[in-house]
Amino acid sequence: MTATVRVRRFVRFLRAPMLAFALAACGAPNAIWNAHSEFGHQVDDLTRFLIYLGAGVFVFVEGLLLVALVRFRAKEGVEPVQTHGNTTLEVTWTAIPAIILACIAVPTVKTIFKTQAKADPNALQVEVIGHQWWWEFRYPQYGVTTASELYLPVGRTVNFALKSADVLHSFWIPQLGGKRDLISNHTNYIWFTPDSASAWNGFCAEFCGASHSNMRFRVFTVTPAQFEAYLAHEKSGPAFGAPSAAPSPSDTAKAATAATTAQSGPTGTVSRENLPRWVVPATPTPANLTVANVPGDATRGATLFKTAPCIACHTIQGVSAGVIGPNLTHVGSRTTIAGSLYPNDMQHLMLWIKNAPAMKAGVIMPAMGKTSPQSAGYDDQQIADLAAYLSALK
Amino acid sequence: MATTVAAPRHAVGPARYESGIWSWLATTDHKRIGQLYLYTALAWFLIGGFEAEIIRTQLYGPNGRLVSFETYNQLFTMHGTTMIFMVVMPLSAAFFNYLIPLQIGARDVAFPRLNAFSYWVFLAGSLFMNVSWLFRAAPDAGWFGYAPLTTPPYAPGPNIDFWLIGLQILGLSSLAAGFNFLTTIINLRAPGMNLMRMPIFTWMSFVTQFLLVLAFPIITVAVTFLMFDRFFGTNFYEVAAGADPLLWQHLFWLFGHPEVYILILPAFGLVSEVLPVFSRKPLFGYPVMVYSGILIAFLGFGVWAHHMFAVGMGPIADSIFSITTMLIGIPTGVKIFNWLGTMWGGSLRFTTAMKFGIALVGLFTIGGISGVMHSSPPSDLQQTDSYFIVAHFHYVLFGGSLMGLFAGLYFFYPKITGRLMDERLGSWHFWLTFIGMNLTFFPMHFLGLDGMPRRIASYDANQGWDMNNHIATIGAYILGAATLIFFYNWFRSMRRGPVAGNDPWGAATLEWTISSPPPVYNFATVPTVTSRYPLWDMKSAQPAAAPRPAQPAGRVPTAEELGIPMPTPTVKPFVAALGLTIAFTGLISHKNLPILFLGAATFVATLYSWLLTPLEPEH
Repeated sequence: MTATVRVRRFVRFLRAPMLAFALAACGAPNAIWNAHSEFGHQVDDLTRFLIYLGAGVFVFVEGLLLVALVRFRAKEGVEPVQTHGNTTLEVTWTAIPAIILACIAVPTVKTIFKTQAKADPNALQVEVIGHQWWWEFRYPQYGVTTASELYLPVGRTVNFALKSADVLHSFWIPQLGGKRDLISNHTNYIWFTPDSASAWNGFCAEFCGASHSNMRFRVFTVTPAQFEAYLAHEKSGPAFGAPSAAPSPSDTAKAATAATTAQSGPTGTVSRENLPRWVVPATPTPANLTVANVPGDATRGATLFKTAPCIACHTIQGVSAGVIGPNLTHVGSRTTIAGSLYPNDMQHLMLWIKNAPAMKAGVIMPAMGKTSPQSAGYDDQQIADLAAYLSALK
Repeated sequence: MATTVAAPRHAVGPARYESGIWSWLATTDHKRIGQLYLYTALAWFLIGGFEAEIIRTQLYGPNGRLVSFETYNQLFTMHGTTMIFMVVMPLSAAFFNYLIPLQIGARDVAFPRLNAFSYWVFLAGSLFMNVSWLFRAAPDAGWFGYAPLTTPPYAPGPNIDFWLIGLQILGLSSLAAGFNFLTTIINLRAPGMNLMRMPIFTWMSFVTQFLLVLAFPIITVAVTFLMFDRFFGTNFYEVAAGADPLLWQHLFWLFGHPEVYILILPAFGLVSEVLPVFSRKPLFGYPVMVYSGILIAFLGFGVWAHHMFAVGMGPIADSIFSITTMLIGIPTGVKIFNWLGTMWGGSLRFTTAMKFGIALVGLFTIGGISGVMHSSPPSDLQQTDSYFIVAHFHYVLFGGSLMGLFAGLYFFYPKITGRLMDERLGSWHFWLTFIGMNLTFFPMHFLGLDGMPRRIASYDANQGWDMNNHIATIGAYILGAATLIFFYNWFRSMRRGPVAGNDPWGAATLEWTISSPPPVYNFATVPTVTSRYPLWDMKSAQPAAAPRPAQPAGRVPTAEELGIPMPTPTVKPFVAALGLTIAFTGLISHKNLPILFLGAATFVATLYSWLLTPLEPEH
C-alpha cells in the first residue's frame, strides 16, 4: 500500500517538470520542434533521434555515476581492491560509443546530401541580402524588391540565394529552415518548402555588430493566390499619388484570404490586426524621445520627401532611387519598421524619423528631427507629414 | 627517498629577494610564478564573472536596457576572451608551473627565466586588453572576431586593436610557456620516471603543451594578417578589395578547436589525480587514459570546420568534418567510463575536491552529449549560434574545465599554502556552484531549441523565452554568491585553516613526499622512481593510505645549507616583458614610432643582457 502511494507520489513529482516542459513547448512560437517545412521535418527527425539517444546515454552514465556514489562511499575498515584496469571492459566501452556514433553518422550523411541537393528548378527564387541591420528580399523572377517582411507561398519550394552587403549575417527562420550564413563575396543557397500558412519570426544568427539583436524579420506564408496578389501589388508603383495600379482582388484571392490565420488586405499583404502576438514587436522606445501628437498631411509629406535627404538612401518607385536603406515603395503596407523592431504606426514612424539612432544602436540613418530647439532638422509637424506620407504608401 | 645526502657545498648566491614586492618581480621559482598565475587568473575570474552577471541581468526579461547594445557587445566579447585566455588557460598554467616540476621530481622548470617572462607577458597582455575599458573602447566583435566585422570599414575605433594586440601578447606567453614545459617534461624527469610512470596530470599537461605550440602559431598568423590590415593597409580580410572572409574562420578555428582541448585536458588531468586518491584506488586504465588524451589532441586538429557547418562548405566537407567530430567522441567517452571505473569498487571520501571532480564527470557528460548532437550538421544548423550552443560550451567549460580546476584548487591548496581549506565552506561553495551552474546553463538548452539566437543584447516579449531567461539569471546570481564564498574561504583558510603536513589526503605522487609548502629547491635529494604511485608503494602494507596526521613542522633546511644551487633572481624577464608591452602600446597609439622603438629597444637590450647572464651564481 505504502509502496503504491510512494510510486504515485513519484509519478506526480515527475509530472510537474514534464508539464513545465510541455507548457514551454506550447508557449514557444520559435521552437525548432514545430517544423513547418520539409527541410524542418528532416532536421527535426534527426534532432529528435539524437535527443532520444543522448537522453539514453545521459540516463545510463549519470545512473552509473549515482550508483557508484551511493554504493562505494567510504566505510570503516573496508579496503578497496587495487585494480588497475580491465581490458575487456575498456574495449567494450570503446566499441559501444563507436557503434552508437555509426548509427548517428549514417542518417546524418543521408540528411546532409538530401538537404543540400540542388533545388527544384521550378522553385521560387528569392534573393536575400543582409545589411547592417536589416534584410532586403528580392524576387528576381518578378522584379520585386522589398525589406524586412518576406512573403512566401505555401507548398512551393523556395530557393534562397544569400548575399551580404557588408559583414557576415546568418539567415534563420527557426520553424522553416536555416541557418545559412550570408558571407561577403560569396553566394550561399538554401531551399525549403513551407507547408502551412502563418506568421513566423526570422533572425540574424551571426553576430554582425552593434544592432545584431535588432536584425529581425517576419515571414508570412500565404496561399499561392494571395501570394500572386501580393506580388502584383508589390510590382506596381506606390499607392499614393498615382492611380492605384493594384489589381482588384479576385474571388479566389478573397477565399484564400479568409483561410489564412492572419487577415489580408485587398493587396495580398497581411494586415496589422489579428497578427499572432509573437510577431507584434513590443520594443520600448527611449523614454527621453518624444514627438508631438499632431496630425500629418500626406500630400505635404510627399512634397517634403522629394526634397528631403531621405531620397539619397531610400527608393520609392517613381520618386527616388537610393539604395543604402530599405526600399519604401510599399512601406505603409508593412506591419513593422526598423528591421521588425517597432510596429508600423504613426507614433513609431514619427519617432523613428525624428531620431533613428536613439531607437536602434549604430543605425546609419541620421536623426532627421530637431533633437534640441537649436539644432537643425524637421519640426514635429513636418515629421508628422512625412510619416503620414509613408503610412499612405500602401 | 627521504634521506638527505649532504651535497658538496657550492658558493651560494646572494640571499636577497626573499620577501617583499621585489622578491615577486625578480622570482624565477616555478612555485612563485605558479602562484602569480593563480592569483592573476583568480582576479580576472572575478572580473569575467562580473561581466557575466551584467549580461545575465540585461537578459533577465525581455527588452532589458541595463546597458547599451554597444556596451553589451563589449561585455560578452570580454567575458569570453577573459574566461578563455585570462582565467582557464592561466589557471591551468598555474598548475603546470606549480605541479609539473614537483610531480616529475625536478627542482625547477627547464628555463626558469623564460618561465618568469611568460608570466609577465601574460599579465601585460591581459592588462592591455582590459585597459580598453578605461577608454570605453573594449573589444566588441566577439572572442572569435569574425572578419570582416574586425576590418577598418566596420570597426574604425581602437576596440579591435586592443583585442588583437592583447591576443598577440597572450599568444607569446603561451608559446614561451609551451616550449618551456615540453623541455621540462622531456628532460627533467627524476631517474626511473619513464613516460608511463608519469603522473596523469603531467601527462595531460604534456599533451596540452603540444597543442599550445602547434595551435598558437596559427592564431598568431591570423592575427598578424589582421594587424597588417588594420595598421598597414593590407587586404587579407578587406572584403571591398575582394578578400574571402572564410580565410579568418578557417585559421581561427584551426586554432580554436585545439584551444578547446587546451582548456579541458589540464582539468581532465587534475580530476584524474583527485578521483583515485579519494577512491583509494589507482586510476582505472592509466594507459588508455594516456592514449585517449593523445588521441583527443590529435583528432582535435581535424575537426575545426564543425564550427562552420552554416557557412555552406558543401555536403562532402560537411560529412567529413561531421565524422571526424564523432570520432573524437570515442576517446572522450572512454575517459568518462574510466573515471567511473576508478570510482567503482572504491572507498569514496566526499571531500570538496572530490565533489568537484565528480561534478566534472557528471556535467562534462552533458556537454559531451550535446556536442555529439552538434557533430551532425543538419541538426547543428538549427543549434549553431543559438543558446543551445551557449548551454553546450558552458557545460564543457564550466562543468568541465572550471569544475576540474576547482577540484585541483581544493586538492592542491594545502600543498601551496601549507593549510587545509575549510571543508564546510567548501561544501557550500560546491553545492551552490553545482545548483547555480545547472540553473544558469540547463535552461539555455531550451532557449536554443526555442529559437533564441546567441550574442543578442536584448530580445522581444512574447517569444516564449522569458521563463528560461529568468531561471538562468537567478542561477547566475547563485553562482556569483558561490564564488564569493570560495574567495572568502580561500583567504580565511590561509590564516585559520588546519596545518596540512606533507600529505593530508593520502595521495600517491612525488609532490606529497615533501613539505607543504615545498622548499625553494623542492627535493633535497632528487628521488628515484620505481612505479606510478611511489607514495602508495612506500606504504605497501596499506596500499592506499588513510590521510596521515600533520607531522610536527620541523625546520626545512634552506638551499644554502644543502648546497643546492638555485637560479639567481632577476628582474630582466619582467623588464623584457615591459619593453614588449611598450612597443605594442606605441603601435596602438596611432603608430607612435618613438614609443614603439623605445619599447623594442628595451626588449632587445634586456634580452641581450639576460642571455649573457648565467642562470645560477658563478662559483
